[in-house]
Formats: sequence, structure tokens, C-alpha cells
Amino acid sequence: MKTSAAIIFTIVLIGLIALGTAPHAESHTKSDTPEAAVHIFFDHVRAHDWNDAFAMVNPGDGVTKESFVRDIAGTDGSLKTISSIQKVDTKTLNNSGSEANVRANLQWSTAVGAVHETRDFKLTNSGGDWKLDWSAPQQVQQAADAKPVQTNYLRWDVVSSGSNSNEWGVANAEPPRTRIISMNAVDYNGSVVIMGEVVNEDTVPGFVTINADLIGQDGNSLAQESSFDKISHTLLPKEVSPFRIDFPGRKLAEVKSVKISPTNLLVPASADPTVGVFDQHIEKDATGKAILRGQLTNQSGLVVNIPHVLATFYDKSGKVIWVSDGYLDQALKPNQQVPFAVDVRDDIANQVQNYRVTVNYYNSSRS
Amino acid sequence: MVALLAIAVHGPLLLMQLPAFAAGSQTQMFLAKHYASDWFGLWNPHWFGGFSQTTSAPLTQQVVALLSHLFGITAAYMVTQLAVVVLLSLAVYRFARVWTGARTAPIAAIGSIFLGSLALLVYREGALPATAGTALAICGASFLYGFARGNEVLSLIKAVLLLIAAACCDSMTAVYGILLFALPTLWLASADADNEEFGERRSPAATFIRGVIVLAACAVVSGFILAPFWSSVFHSSHRLLSPDETASNFLLQGSNAVRYWIVPFGFMILALPYLFLSGFAARRTRALFLAFFVALVVGLGTTTPVAKYLLGGFDNALSVELFTFWATLLALPLVAVLVLELVTRYQQRAVILVWVAAVLTFAAPLAWMTYHPSTENRFRTDYIANFLNRDNHAQFRYLTLGFGSQFSEVASRTNASTVDGIGDGPMLPEAREFGVSHLDNAKSYGSAGMEALRAVLKHANQYGLKFIFVRDRYYEPLIAFAGWRQVEAYENGNVTLWSKEDVPPARDLNTHTTLPGIERVLWGVVPLLCLILALLLMIATPERDEEVEIMALPTTGTEPIRTQEAI
Amino acid sequence: MTKLFDTLFIILTLACAAAAQVTVPQQATAGEAATLQVSGGGTLYLVGPGTAIKRDVKSGEVTLSADDLAYAGRYTAIVNGRAQSFYVSPAKPQKLSFMARPSRVPVAQPNVISGAVFVLDHNDNLVTAPGAVKFELGVNGQAPVSQSVPTKDGIAYIRAASGKREGPAQFTASVGDIVVRRIVQQVASDPCNLRMKAQRSGNDIAVETDPVRDCSGNPVPDGTIVTFIETTNEHGKSTVDARVKHGVAKAMLPALPGATLSVASGVVLGNEIRWGGQ
Repeated sequence: MKTSAAIIFTIVLIGLIALGTAPHAESHTKSDTPEAAVHIFFDHVRAHDWNDAFAMVNPGDGVTKESFVRDIAGTDGSLKTISSIQKVDTKTLNNSGSEANVRANLQWSTAVGAVHETRDFKLTNSGGDWKLDWSAPQQVQQAADAKPVQTNYLRWDVVSSGSNSNEWGVANAEPPRTRIISMNAVDYNGSVVIMGEVVNEDTVPGFVTINADLIGQDGNSLAQESSFDKISHTLLPKEVSPFRIDFPGRKLAEVKSVKISPTNLLVPASADPTVGVFDQHIEKDATGKAILRGQLTNQSGLVVNIPHVLATFYDKSGKVIWVSDGYLDQALKPNQQVPFAVDVRDDIANQVQNYRVTVNYYNSSRS
Repeated sequence: MVALLAIAVHGPLLLMQLPAFAAGSQTQMFLAKHYASDWFGLWNPHWFGGFSQTTSAPLTQQVVALLSHLFGITAAYMVTQLAVVVLLSLAVYRFARVWTGARTAPIAAIGSIFLGSLALLVYREGALPATAGTALAICGASFLYGFARGNEVLSLIKAVLLLIAAACCDSMTAVYGILLFALPTLWLASADADNEEFGERRSPAATFIRGVIVLAACAVVSGFILAPFWSSVFHSSHRLLSPDETASNFLLQGSNAVRYWIVPFGFMILALPYLFLSGFAARRTRALFLAFFVALVVGLGTTTPVAKYLLGGFDNALSVELFTFWATLLALPLVAVLVLELVTRYQQRAVILVWVAAVLTFAAPLAWMTYHPSTENRFRTDYIANFLNRDNHAQFRYLTLGFGSQFSEVASRTNASTVDGIGDGPMLPEAREFGVSHLDNAKSYGSAGMEALRAVLKHANQYGLKFIFVRDRYYEPLIAFAGWRQVEAYENGNVTLWSKEDVPPARDLNTHTTLPGIERVLWGVVPLLCLILALLLMIATPERDEEVEIMALPTTGTEPIRTQEAI
Repeated sequence: MTKLFDTLFIILTLACAAAAQVTVPQQATAGEAATLQVSGGGTLYLVGPGTAIKRDVKSGEVTLSADDLAYAGRYTAIVNGRAQSFYVSPAKPQKLSFMARPSRVPVAQPNVISGAVFVLDHNDNLVTAPGAVKFELGVNGQAPVSQSVPTKDGIAYIRAASGKREGPAQFTASVGDIVVRRIVQQVASDPCNLRMKAQRSGNDIAVETDPVRDCSGNPVPDGTIVTFIETTNEHGKSTVDARVKHGVAKAMLPALPGATLSVASGVVLGNEIRWGGQ
């Protein structure tokens, strides 16, 4: 009785443990299909298990384990260095038995929120196991002869007051003058979207935030939102930034008026970095979606850790018809070019007559 | 003597305020501080932009609040925790005496002092409510035996008061702990009912039913007292668990096996074969073993599917840890029998080895905590509190990011309100959409956490959220792109303050709910009253040892049986 | 019975009132002592702007101190129910409260600087008597522009054009020998005649503006954004938002045959260059 009861309870315990562990242990252990191989590969990436991840790729010319890790884990404080893969959805595009193409919709959890990426992987079957063909990252081009210069010299004169006393009438320097130079409101995807451009007309840098209040037909406020990250907050003199404010779940028909309230603040700002935006052009991607592509070139001496691209699209009358943005997961090193792409709304792609790309940035180095 | 030993072992550690910075203890002290300032005003404006204290069972917070008027809040917490540890050892003494006899009771009681699982809960988690609830539940269960088997009215009163007090300490204990300790005890009472060795012969079924009725009555009464709490539990929305809170599979994650199973059990793992062999074999301890087995299995977390089905929405790491704690407590009477046999057989050698094992079992969690601290690089929060408390800064709300267990510490020190919080408070609609309850730790929830943080920051103006204190630079890009500017730095730049200029002062979020007066009085008075009455009754009417018969467990010892009172 | 007592009380009060007389000064100035003539003695109540005094006085001359009459305005003196009012005028101007807006202004703009002066005496009473305030606006090294503005109810107001030279402008307001100074920073206006030149630099084009100045010849501040734009049919558009450093803005653009180079700053457009060479 003593022993048999112990055996029964031990068996029950082991059985329960097996029941609890088996589903986890079984999932994605074998890369016997192209999609499973992609899933396993990203499981290794998620676990930062670079050895196993590299073992699952067919390295192309010039791909070493170090370059592979740099490619997938990021360098120089880029967004990729503070991202982790969250979700992988795969779809086999074609499979010949020896070669296959798999499209992976990747969801990254990053420091600026969820970032979605679609990547097509080519896989090769080697001895029953599928491996991902991994080519060297797109060569980051050197911008020839560009001379990075870091500016220490700036001439901004801010005069606070003419008196040291506390007397009435003495005021500190005013915030910079900014002006909203264009504005448009549209219905899009179940939201009201307010967009436009703001310029710093002053001679000193400003920190700008734009808040908008939708006023309903009855004169009451319907919703309040802000430009959040869809603006370049720090504006140097004469700098123009697009802005976009989304009001989810609202319709333009409900709105009687929009109250825009920009907030300006006089701030110190660096004149660096200067980022050039080259080869801007709109094209269709593999799925037929309109994309604005180009190259970013850092023409200064500072590394830009996280670049943020803001694109403004204009119609033939010069009106802003859309503002879209995107974060780059690579850092911009001095004199180097990095490709970027931002979405263009398909329904307005034909109306786009002109566009302008500005680059906002975050640098991790603190002054 | 057991009580003195408990004080000798835990007293110095608590005097050093070892658990002062555990996340749980900080939360308890934060909640207790509110009771200390406004006992019946249950609306606390400092977390979640305002929340009701009824989202957490009140008793331990009320005791700490009461004692804080004498000792200050931190010392009051430590004194309460020490009292709980002492009470636990006495409860285990009573419990073991019921199950395995008076000879084993002191051994089990001493064992309870050195439990690794207890050390982890007290010193790492700061789980005062769970340990207090458990101690009261065990005590209540042993008195329930006295009533069910012996029909003693005084035992009935003590059992009822203790079980209600236990339920008012901790929700997990209220739902699972009381059943885990009380049901086997009732089974034992009914098993002993037709045995004249344990008193007058009674009907086993009637004995069991009588006990169940008492349990049900306790459940109804405590449910009535804690009605606002249960209401908030049932109306709370789905919450994601961060990886730290998730009960993981121990086979797949070895580090968690060490943390949640090996360290809490310590050398008791060596006794598992004995427990399996003799626990179910002896008729009287069969129910105890079954309860132990259930607690053991649930304590394995997602290593087995049981925890998920049994715990439902409660299947977090702390719940699993609590079940392991209960498993070790339920095993103690049986382990005490083993120790007694070993000592009888091997004399002094066994005594030395058992003591060494006990001490090492207790030391292991403390050593483990040293090498795996819950908060690395602790920092001073007084700069932050000073900033928030001056120049009308408290008229705005604030947010901390990456503060970990020191989140509550900031909240305790400042008059300002945060939109974040710990526990079952009302999440902001933006965070509720993603099921993220604790924004300070947003990144650990993955993209859901960061999206929730983005959504809340987007509406910063509506919440008066002007100040963000950042201790984890991971969050800096988001808040910089979102329009906050760094304005101050503390602790050599490890903690930075970010501010947004256009944020208006915070206004009431109109989530304030006022409980009816009767509910507030019940909440504020009855739990503490039950505890005080139960303790007074226990002190005023100590049971004589000879009233409890020695259990019929075979021991091979030849030494005379010596019983003693624990107090 | 009660009615009889009430009647007696009223008669006695009136008799006392009739006995006490107060004579107020014809002219009084804020911050200067003045005298009242009281006959009959009793309790003096003095009520005025920011002032309420109760004092027992004897028959004869009662001196009100300078502090009693610190504020200009209408005062009422009451002695035993007899009230007399008198007016206390502000003293001579001693202070100027000068508000100048804005603190920063582009050069050569009409009516962009405003100044308002409140003429006050030493007790901060607004001096309402007509007078004149002299405003002067000048940048270092240049003769200031001055204008005299009469006050109306103690306030003088002016709108002035900004000067042509950038720099901190001294904006002063004076009454007699009382002078108050404010600084208005005159800053360069929008760039004017924005011109760039381009030359090959390896595989790129180095573009550089001439010194960027406004229409008055003032250099625009460093950090001002100048946008260089290169447009081709094949390669789309390339832009660089360059910052003015040491008065000029520079950038590198890809050397693409047939490219059109243009430059702009804010809403101001500069010249265009057609890049044709290889």
C-alpha cells in the first residue's frame, strides 16, 4: 500500500509535468518546413541565441557571424538595439522543395512602440532542414568627400531684460514666433486627421507642440489630441516641420470647427546633425503599395542613433494632403547613407504632386 | 520557546528592515499610509489618477497603519511581519499537534521558522498579507478541528474569527488557502469522529458537515465584509502579466526552477520520497498529503496544466510561490515525524544534520536574494519627492519609468498623483485596451506595454501628466519624440526628469466612487475587530496540552513523550 | 417707554453732532502731511483708498501724517458723525513703469515695437496730471530715434519701427531725469537675395551659399535652416536642410547630370543652378 500509493502519486506528478511541458517542447523544434525554419530562426533571435540563429542561415559573401549579429541586433544605439521580436506571421510564397520564399510579417517591440516589418526570406533546403539565405546588409555607402563638421560655434543672442530689478513690466525673453503655414483636415480610416506645417519664423530655436480640439456642432469639445511624435518638436530658425494629429473614432461631419493651439518654448538647440535626404521617389513595393523611398545621409560629425522620417505630401495646389512618418532601425553614422521608406496612402498616391522629407532624430548621448 | 526562537531568527533581519524595499512591502506601506491618515476614507488619489483602497484586502494594511502611529510606517510593517512569523510558528505548532501529535508539533513549529519559502515571501516579495493570512488560516483550521470533533464552542468562536481575519488579509488565502488547510482538517475530524481515543464518539458525516457549515458561514461573512473588494475583482478588466509575474515552466527555464521551487523547498526536497511513501499510507494523514500534493502540483506553475485551470485569473508567479509555501507548511507535520524518527534512530548526529539542513534551507533564499536582488542599484527617491512636493508641482500628475520596486516608495513620499499603479486599481482606458496595468514596467509587456504607454502619453494633457521620471533609458526615445524635454537629472544622471510644457494642471478624472457608510464601517472595523478578539481569546483561554491526544502515528523512539506549550 | 428712550438717544446724538465740526484741507498731496480743523473733539474716522484710520482727537488742528495720505484719491473724514470729503492728488512723477514688447524683433519692420509707460509718484500713485514722456530707441553706435509722447491719465504709449541694424536696441523712456531702460533685441529679418554657388567635389556637388543676410545687410543667425534642393527626372529629389554656420550654409549633393539645384530658407527662395556637366 505504502509503495503503490507513492508510485501512483509519482506517476500522476510526472504525467502532469509531461502534459504541461510537451506542448512547449514540441513547438518549433524542427525546421522541416520553410515557415517553421523562419519561426525557429526568430525564436533564436528573440532569445538572443546568436549561435543557433547563425547556424540556421546560409551566409552570403562577406557575411560573418559578427556582421550577422550586427545586422540583426543593431549597433550604435540604433532602434534595433532596443527592439525585440514580438510576433512572426509567415506565408510561403513558393516552395520548390529545394528552395522556397517565405514572407514574414514581423512585429517588433521597440522603444518607440510596436514596429511592423514585412520581409521576404529565401530559404534553401539542406539535408531536410531549411536554412535562410543571408546576404550581407545593403552596403552602407560612404558619401564621398563629405566633411563632417561638428559645430561648437553658434550665434544665438537671447536678451532677457533690460533690468535686473523685479519691477513690473520687466519680462523674460518671449518664446519664438511660430506660424502654422498650412492646414488640412480629412477623414481617414475612421479617424479625423488634422495635418499641416508649422514654421519657426524667429531667429532662435523653439520647442513646438501642437494641440488640437475638435469642436462639435453643439459648440462643445468632442476630443483633444496632440501632434505627439508626428512633428519635429525642436525647430531651428526658419525650419519647417509637418505635423499630424489623429482623432480616432471621429468623423469630420461631426465637427464644426477645430481649435489649434501651438505651444512654443525657447530652448537651446544644436545645429547638428545635418541629414541629407537623397534620391526621394515614390514607387510601388512588392505588394503594389505606394512607398516613398530614399537615402538618408548624415553630413555631420555626430552619430544619429534613432532617425525619424517625416514626409509631407502636397497636391498640385500645394496643399498638404498627407503626412506620414517612420522610424529607422539603423543608426546614421557620419558620412553614411541609409535607405528609408515611408508609406504613401494608396488613395491619394495619384494626387501627390510634390513631397518633402524632413528628419527628426534622437541621440542617446547626453550633453 | 518556539516564539522566542522565531523572534531570535527573524527579529534581527526585520530589525535591519531587510524587506523594506521589496515591491510588496512598499505597496503595503503605501496603502497603510492612507489608512493611517484617513481610516474610513477609502479613496486614494495617489495611484491610477485615483483609486479605491478596496481593491486590496485591508487587514494587514490596517494593522500596519495602526502601529505606524507608534513606530512609524516602516518599523510598523516590520513589527507586524515579525508578529506574523511568530504567529505562524504557533499556528504550525497547533496544526501539527492535530495531525501528528504533540511530540512532533515543536519540531514542525521550529521547521516553520526556517522555511525557505517563508524567507522568500517575507524578505524578497514583502508578502505580508499572504503570510499573515496563512498563519491565521492554519490557526483557524486547527480550531475548526476542535469544534468539529470536540464540539467546543470556544473553538468555534476562535475558528470563525480567525478564518474571517485570514480572508480579510489576502484574497488568495481567502479563496484557496483556507480550503487547503481547513478541508483536510475537517476530513481528519470526521475520520477521528468514531474513534474514542479522540473523545466522545460522533457521527463522521455530521462532524464533517458541521465543519463545512462553519466554513461556509465564514465565507459568507467575509464575503460580505469584503464585498467592495470582490466587486472590484469581478469588474476588473483583463490584465497582462509581465514575464516577471508569469508562472513559467520550470523544466524549460531552469533558473525559475531554482527560484520558485528548489530554493523555497531547500532541504525539504530530500524528504519528498518519505512524504510520498508515508503521507498517503497512514490513514490519518491521507488528507494532509492530498492537500500537500495539490499545493505541490499548483506550485509547479505552468510546468503542469493544473495551475492554469485551478487558478484561472490568479495564475501569476506570486500565486504559484504561495502554493509552494503552503506545500511546505502542509508537509511540516509529516517532515516532523521523519525528523523525530531520524533523531530517535541516529541520536545526536541526526540532530546536528537536521539543524544544519534547517539553517541552510533558511540561508539559501537570503543568499539567493543577495545575488539576485529584486532591485539592482537602489537609488534615493527623496530628490524626486522633494521636487514633486515643492512649487505646486503636485498639481500635475507624474509617471515613473523603470523604477521597479521603488515605484511605491516614490508614491509614499509625495503628495502628487500618478496615472500608474500596482494591483487591481482602475486602469486608464488607454492602458486597459492593452491590458497593461503597470506602466512603470511597460517594456516588459512587449509591444502591448509600449503601445499602452504611447496611448497614455498621447493623452497626457487630459490627465495633467506633466512630469516623467526615467530610470531606464530605454524609454527616453519615446518620450523625447513625444514632446517631453529633460529638465533635471538626479543620481549622477541615472534618474532624469522630463517635462512637457503645455500640460494643464490635473483635474479629477470623475472615477471617484463613494461606498455606502455601512460598507465603509464594515471594511474599517470588522477585520481588525475579528483579529483582536481572536488573539485576545487565544491568549485568555490557552488550551492545555493534555486536551489534545497524541496522534496514533507509529514512532520508533523510546524517549518519553514531552509536550509543551508553545507560548 | 422704549420709544421715549429712543427719542432721547436720537436727540442727544444730534446735539453732539451739531457740536462737532470738521474742516478738510482744500488741497492735499499724496505722501505729504495735511491738517484738519476739528471743533468739539471726539473720534476721527479717516477713510480713503487703502486707508482706514480711527483716532481720538481734541478740538483744534489735527495733523494727518504723510503715511496717512500715502495714496491718491478721495478721502472722507468723520468726526462724531459729521463727514467731510477731500481729494488727495498724486505727487510729482518719481517712477516710470515701462513695458516694452516684444523682447525680440526683426529689423526694419514698421510699428513692431510697442512701449507703454505708466507715470507714478513715489507711492506708486498714477500721476494723472498731463505731462510728456520721451521715448528713445537706438542700437549701439547709431544715433537713437526719439519721440516725445504726452501722457493721458498717466499713461503714454508708442509704437515704433525697428531699426535697420541688428543688435540689442536700447529702448528708453524718460520723464525729466527719471529714465527707464529696456532692451529689445533687433534681429535679422528673413534672408534676402539668397544665392548659392556649386562646384564639383569628387562624385558630389558642394553647394554653398553666399553669406546669408537680410535685406538690410544683417547676417542671419547661425542655425538658420537653408534648404538645398536637387531635382532630376531620373533620380527624383534630394534635399539637405543645412544650418547656417559662420554666416554661410554648405551641403553636399549627389552630382547628377541635368540636375536642377535650388536653395530656399523659410519662405524665401534663392537662385537656381542647372548642373549639366559630367
